[in-house]
Amino acid sequence: MFQGLKFEPFKLPDEAELIRQEVREFLARELDPGTLPNSDFNAGESAEFSRKLGAQGWIGMTWPKKYGGLGKSFLERYVVTEELLAAGAPVGCHWIADRQSGPLMLKFGTEEQKQRFLPKIVSGDFFFSIGMSEPDSGSDLASIRTSATKTDGGWLLNGSKIWTSYAHTNHYMVTLVRTEPPSENRHAGMSQVVVDLSDKNVTVTGIRNLSGEEDFNQVFFDDVFIPDDMLIGTPGNGWEQVMSELGYERSGPERFLSAFRVIVEFAREIESNPTDEQLVLLGRLASHLVTLRRMSISVAGMLGEGKLPLTEAALIKDLGNSYERMVPEIVRLSVSGDCSRRFVDTLNECILHAPSFTLRGGTREVLKGVIARGLGLR
Amino acid sequence: MNEQQQLIIETLSRLLTDLCTPEVVDRSESGTFAENLWQVLTETGLTAAGIGVEAGGSGGDLEDSLLVIREAARFAAPVPLAEHFIAGLLLSEQGQSIESGPVTIASGKFIISDGLSLSGAADDVAFARWCAQVVLVAQGSDGLKLCRVPASDFDIVQKNSVAGEPRDSISVNTKVAAESAFSVDSQTPERIKLMGAALRALMMSGALESVLEMTVQYSTERSQFGRPISKFQAIQQQLAVLAGEVAACQMASHSVVEAFSTLGELDIAIGKARIGEAVSICTDIAHQVHGAMGYTLEHSLNHRTRRLWSWREEYGNEREWQKLVGRHFSAQGADKLWGSMTAL
Repeated sequence: MFQGLKFEPFKLPDEAELIRQEVREFLARELDPGTLPNSDFNAGESAEFSRKLGAQGWIGMTWPKKYGGLGKSFLERYVVTEELLAAGAPVGCHWIADRQSGPLMLKFGTEEQKQRFLPKIVSGDFFFSIGMSEPDSGSDLASIRTSATKTDGGWLLNGSKIWTSYAHTNHYMVTLVRTEPPSENRHAGMSQVVVDLSDKNVTVTGIRNLSGEEDFNQVFFDDVFIPDDMLIGTPGNGWEQVMSELGYERSGPERFLSAFRVIVEFAREIESNPTDEQLVLLGRLASHLVTLRRMSISVAGMLGEGKLPLTEAALIKDLGNSYERMVPEIVRLSVSGDCSRRFVDTLNECILHAPSFTLRGGTREVLKGVIARGLGLR
Repeated sequence: MNEQQQLIIETLSRLLTDLCTPEVVDRSESGTFAENLWQVLTETGLTAAGIGVEAGGSGGDLEDSLLVIREAARFAAPVPLAEHFIAGLLLSEQGQSIESGPVTIASGKFIISDGLSLSGAADDVAFARWCAQVVLVAQGSDGLKLCRVPASDFDIVQKNSVAGEPRDSISVNTKVAAESAFSVDSQTPERIKLMGAALRALMMSGALESVLEMTVQYSTERSQFGRPISKFQAIQQQLAVLAGEVAACQMASHSVVEAFSTLGELDIAIGKARIGEAVSICTDIAHQVHGAMGYTLEHSLNHRTRRLWSWREEYGNEREWQKLVGRHFSAQGADKLWGSMTAL
């Protein structure tokens, strides 16, 4: 088989299964039975919930103890995240900091940055956004124009980022910027800086998505001063750093569980008297989901071993996103008109969110390009 | 795969490259058994890997033989490795050794009297016309009996699958030797079906891997508009979809291998359903990329794709196994759905 397309079976260790029980008990206590759960990681946020989760030690749980982490394995974290998503917990506030910003700092940050940010992420007090896309730079990330120019003791940031989820409520944003003008090497001259979103020179303007929610934004920088110690890693190394996050960003359970609650409500709808067709559909959806989950666990195992399975991650995201898009579209046609309110609401919410599944974190077209590269075609 | 298994697969792969050429596959379809191939596989112990030495096998793990059967499918090997293996397992459970064969397995309606008179018939018996023996389950007066019967005792009507593989209709009216009939429990036909489904799932995943390799290879060799078609984004995107499906099948096939020793019904069902579903997507893309060339009998893509179309139907198609999976999860109830998935 081709390099980058090898998925070895991986079994979750016993300690991960123990944590699963703890998470289930926690969720049974903490989730409000009155709200309709949504397994889209970007669909619900609650600072209070995130702080409670932090108090359990389940944010930044793989990080070293000296930064507030539990030093747990990547596979134990995997179990926590999939349990949160499957239950439809409101994870939006801390999700990015836990998945990406924290690990980035651990890998590339200074000791001072780690001390300053990680313990507060762990406790659920610091929430992070990611600033990548710009109005003229979507899939072509290397074309970004937001720039940081050197000044005394730091950098002056100008430009704008767009589609940044929760920038209006989060505290910081890890932002990809140009610290050198574009050159022949399109990927050179970029850096990652931490922007304090409460800075008076930062303006956050909400954008309403088509479901009427205002969870993403455009963020404007007008001579925002970034102290030297808020640059992460090496100036000019931003592109490599961003690429190293992608394995985490693209392979997790949030890439195939976004429509899971639709399947749960479908199962509830047909529980008492399923037709053959409905059983066939449930079995089809389940056989995809079980397989995707095993692929995702396989990549979690590789990440835990320090590997960087970028093609595999892209492949999981692409397969998983297609699945998430397919679920509501085929489920809606396999029930009779007389459905419960709960089912209809869950279905509609998923349909309204679905266009984002195959855009965020890399469009399906970009992902297929990554896979094609893995096949040696590019 | 451990080192030992890697060695087995490399040996087999070399051997099949030499002995299982497209011409050999074509000749089999025109009615000539790949005698030489079977003989060499037998001599190297590959037809009986995973079956205990005391039962006439080559020893080794069950997993070895599953990997052998999967690898052989990459080459569209026109020999009844899967059926021979199932027959060997069933016979070894009775303390019997398997002939070098080939031996096939028949699922049909057979009745055996107390005096061991056997009569009945079965359809879609793989390679029956070229086999030495047929292993089957017959209904006796006090339960089921596993019988081993010389193939020459049967009336055989030759039929082929869409892949051109022998799937014969056989009927029999004969006397079975006392040392060739064994009482077996009522689960045996179900177990045969599960083994068959598991092996077809593995064979499909092997053939799909080969389809991906052939298709990628072809796209880099075929030039149009002045460049290899692999350089066109439209083609790259198709190949990426194909790769995704094949990778999912590879994952599902690992679970089938793990489930085989206990015949875990759910994992085998998920594997057969998931891999079977991938066949329609993958064969569609592979043929599209290969263009008219791939639609010819001359090009060996058809050896894989026609087998895939045949194998996905055998031992229960996607619909049948999806329904079983659906029934399992539906019975748990909506609120236990997730819990029953993570328990797998």
